[in-house]
Amino acid sequence: MNAFRDDVTAFADDYVLGLMSPTETELFEALMAADPALAAHVARLRDQLLPLDLSAEALALPPGFADRLQAIIARTPQDGAPLPLSGDPTVAPVPANLPRAPRRWLAGLAASLVLGLALGFGGAMQRPAPAPQVVAVLLDDQGQPRAIIEDYGIETAQIRFVSDVEVPPGFAIQAWTLPSVEMGPRSLGVLDGPRAASLAGPDLPAPADAQLYEITLEPAGGSPTGRPTGPIIAKGLAAAQDI
Amino acid sequence: MTEDAEQRNRRLDRAVTDCAEGRPQGIDAILELEGPRLLGLARRILIRHDLAEEALQDAMVMVWRKAAQQRQADGSARGWIYAILRNRCLTILRDGARLSSLSPDELTRMQEARQELVSDDDWKLLAGKGRLGECLDALDDPARRAILLAHVAGYSHGEISARQGVPLGTAKSWIRRGLASLRECLS
Repeated sequence: MNAFRDDVTAFADDYVLGLMSPTETELFEALMAADPALAAHVARLRDQLLPLDLSAEALALPPGFADRLQAIIARTPQDGAPLPLSGDPTVAPVPANLPRAPRRWLAGLAASLVLGLALGFGGAMQRPAPAPQVVAVLLDDQGQPRAIIEDYGIETAQIRFVSDVEVPPGFAIQAWTLPSVEMGPRSLGVLDGPRAASLAGPDLPAPADAQLYEITLEPAGGSPTGRPTGPIIAKGLAAAQDI
Repeated sequence: MTEDAEQRNRRLDRAVTDCAEGRPQGIDAILELEGPRLLGLARRILIRHDLAEEALQDAMVMVWRKAAQQRQADGSARGWIYAILRNRCLTILRDGARLSSLSPDELTRMQEARQELVSDDDWKLLAGKGRLGECLDALDDPARRAILLAHVAGYSHGEISARQGVPLGTAKSWIRRGLASLRECLS
């Protein structure tokens, strides 16, 4: 476990120094939100290096800066607190450029985290009940993790996004699952943007191992046909959690 | 910690709590307490005033959005706010498309000016008078320089290895071992 811990410590160093790509940063923030000991480690290092930031020469804010900012804030919705059910974060999307490929094993680390494997960085990870029956990590066509769906099989599922998804005005993200070929794709819900949300699933058979989940880009309000019509943003097969 | 600093930290904690609970005056309070220094930090990394203002604006919107997720137990509110701004500055700095409107001369100026920040003579000014300065002083020169090039000047691993004329792996290991020593010295 020590080598593993060293890796995580090295990630923390890179994160605090700003040596990660935007995608790596988001994945690492997902790790931190699920592991309080790691978050505390990062916060300590950040505070220790803070004097370097504070040595910058102060500059007067331009006139009207605060007012302009307030005008933006007034139309900016706030992200919710972390979802209590899973203890995992709402990973906020950043209005950044297209994410570059993260180091593959950092993505793997984040994926194994959401699959319920403890990181073991110091603190015990808490996974409060109820546990999801299946978890699907949705990848885009480049193999990048975009979102995670946890299906509790009691007509509720949760979706979280691990990287930014651009939603043009007038469009929405719709989550789908394919319980069986005979049933065809069923909508789990429509989202106005890449935010963590609870999905109120329809009355479906209990989710199964290797069941397909996907998110597509649809007109605002959701697909007019009840079937996916837009491009697939990301998709993945569920992994059963009865371990 | 001096009384002033304690009071500032308490006010910043309260401002972040205000934001977390949806009160926009929290943002005004943060600007009042830290705005000029935050803008100064953004300008130090981005060199250009317009980019620095953009970064500060983006960062404060992010503070507003994410305040509810900031757990007070995880370090200081101040450290959290500065980290958000630094991240935003680095994202702008590494976004080729974002900077594509600038002339090649201007890009070169931005790229080079940051290196001046960590000249061998001046680095002590960066760390202030506290323990951090003493611990940085105790590091090997290349390790210290690599850490400062990353944290203060915002260079990537690749840029640091090029600037120090060593392979990427060497630069990474300088940073890694330097930070390990630094942590030990500061603890």
